Amino acid sequence: MGLVDKNLSLRNRNKMLIGVWEDEDALLSATQAVVDKGVHIHDVFTPYPVHGLDRIIGVKRSRLARIAFFCGLTGLSLMFTMIWYMYVKDWPVNVGNKPVRFSPSWIPVMFEGTILCTAFGMGIFFFLRNRMLHGIKNDLLDERQTDDRMIMTIETCEGMDEKGLIDLMKEKGAVETREFHQGVQTVI
Amino acid sequence: MGHGHHIEIKQETFSMPSKAKSFTMILMILGLVLTGIGIATIDKTGAGHDAHQTNTEHSATESHEGHEAHEGGHEAHAESEHESGHSADAAHEEHSNVDNEAFGPRIEYHAQEKPWTTKIWSNLLVAGYYFTMISLCALFWYAIQYAANAGWSVTIKRVPEAMLTFIPIAFVVVLIALIFGKDNIYHWAHYEHMGLKPGDTGYDKVLDGKSGFLNTKMLFIFPTVLIIWWYFLGNKLRSLSIQEDNGPKGDTSFFKKSIRFSAAFLVTFGFLISILAWLFMMSVDAHWYSTIFGVYNFATHWVSSIAFIAVFVIYLKSQGHLGLVNKEHQHDLGKFMFAFTVFWAYIWLFQYLLIWYAHIPEEMMYYQIRYENYKPFFLGNFILNFAVPFLFLLMRSAKRSNWVFPAIASVMIIGHYFDVWFMVMPGVFGPGAHIGLLDIGVFLFFLGLFVYWTLNQLQKRGLVAMNHPFLEESVYHDTGV
Repeated sequence: MGLVDKNLSLRNRNKMLIGVWEDEDALLSATQAVVDKGVHIHDVFTPYPVHGLDRIIGVKRSRLARIAFFCGLTGLSLMFTMIWYMYVKDWPVNVGNKPVRFSPSWIPVMFEGTILCTAFGMGIFFFLRNRMLHGIKNDLLDERQTDDRMIMTIETCEGMDEKGLIDLMKEKGAVETREFHQGVQTVI
Repeated sequence: MGHGHHIEIKQETFSMPSKAKSFTMILMILGLVLTGIGIATIDKTGAGHDAHQTNTEHSATESHEGHEAHEGGHEAHAESEHESGHSADAAHEEHSNVDNEAFGPRIEYHAQEKPWTTKIWSNLLVAGYYFTMISLCALFWYAIQYAANAGWSVTIKRVPEAMLTFIPIAFVVVLIALIFGKDNIYHWAHYEHMGLKPGDTGYDKVLDGKSGFLNTKMLFIFPTVLIIWWYFLGNKLRSLSIQEDNGPKGDTSFFKKSIRFSAAFLVTFGFLISILAWLFMMSVDAHWYSTIFGVYNFATHWVSSIAFIAVFVIYLKSQGHLGLVNKEHQHDLGKFMFAFTVFWAYIWLFQYLLIWYAHIPEEMMYYQIRYENYKPFFLGNFILNFAVPFLFLLMRSAKRSNWVFPAIASVMIIGHYFDVWFMVMPGVFGPGAHIGLLDIGVFLFFLGLFVYWTLNQLQKRGLVAMNHPFLEESVYHDTGV
């Protein structure tokens, strides 16, 4: 498994069927209907979180929490090492006759370091994994997908009833249906 | 879960299973028996503190003892002065006299012989205070949900609603403990009777300076007024809740009124809750002060109150009730508990950290006596209330588990009771306090009583707030994969 999720690149995949919705309830019932037909939905793009959508399209639980834990551990040990080196090994300083060893004044440093590394680590890994890196151009399926429209994408495969799926989408309230293949969109 | 299917909303009633009845009864009886054995086996001659001199007079030997006991860091300094001759000795003596005036009497008081009943009253104080605050924090939890317009918690709101009815009972226990034991629990109360004027032997400048706030009238009147006010608001919220249940469908007027009463509670609670902590807990060590102490007390009880709510919810769920509560609600309670576990540890540490930094002797006595004589207790407190719950509650599976989660919550309930115990006992008994049968018995008794009382109250109204405007939102509560 690479660090960057290559699945997210739509350009390198088979032909995609695209439905555009304006209403989240219609979208939810549409996704449910498509899933009920046994079709795998590649992804749904929404400008804001839609309740229940993740369960319907079978999104797997994110592993970001585990990464966060290890980033936190890294931060903790990093800061411990840092302050130990500075305060004990390299240049012990007598501050108010406090002992030159592990003491409560180390804890805020270690705590803040843990938080810092967790937050930055999570951010970095999140953007890496999601292909949201500088220089990678992602295909925007609809200019309004970050505004008020919701996009459902289905990857076609051999023997798929494309016509039927398009009809189902329209029946379930899709305002537009399109095809996407190697960077070219056609309205159907 | 999710929009996939429809969930039928129907009223449920809870009737206490005989198992729960006998369990709480056994807890109470066991508690009473242990308390009885504990009382019977107390050394009633008062020789329990023989590790210390038991003089009550303010003599020169004691000033020396106090000096040593409370200024460990100063000892080496004093010794070197001894060697350097008479003049330095005189300076040392002068110094210790200054110390004695400021901090002297308290040390003698710790070592002073106390009637054996003090152990009973101080235990009642701990139990009463703990459960008063637990039920107050349940009300706080309830009020927050209204003030924040929270929807997720509606399906479990009957639980804190039942818990808050315990406020007056627990507070009466506090009052009983104070009426009978205050002179021996609080040395300022004892000092108050002595009526010393400046210049008298044993005159204590610090206690005299604080007597405007730390006096018997204040001790009884202020908390009583506050508790009556808060309980009035709690009762009002309870009756609004039941009126809403019985009222016409879709009537939001009760809900809106509840928000207003919740706000009145939250403001007064937030500003004034520290006063209970100062009067009941911090004044055990009356020479000592910590500005964060009220927050520390709040953190302790707030997190254990959430733990109690969680245990009750999971218990009801295991009995086949609360059908509308799903794993998401439990998970959210877990997150709530996790967050405030960290909050508690933060306050616990930082109260110490600032005192440790500043290195002012009069601020250190609280920690000195606790750390020097009770090191395992001191560190155990941290492990029990932070390290263990933190590491477990980090895991999603633990928060959603039907046994790990309540087990951790129970550890915290016990741990935070011990935390309150630890605020009081070393202050009252000096280095001689220990967890005996009496202490365990009192805890078990009040735990049993509290659980019984809450379950009994839960029977009195339906478990679902049928007309709450956010009920539907709570039923379909889902935080995603």
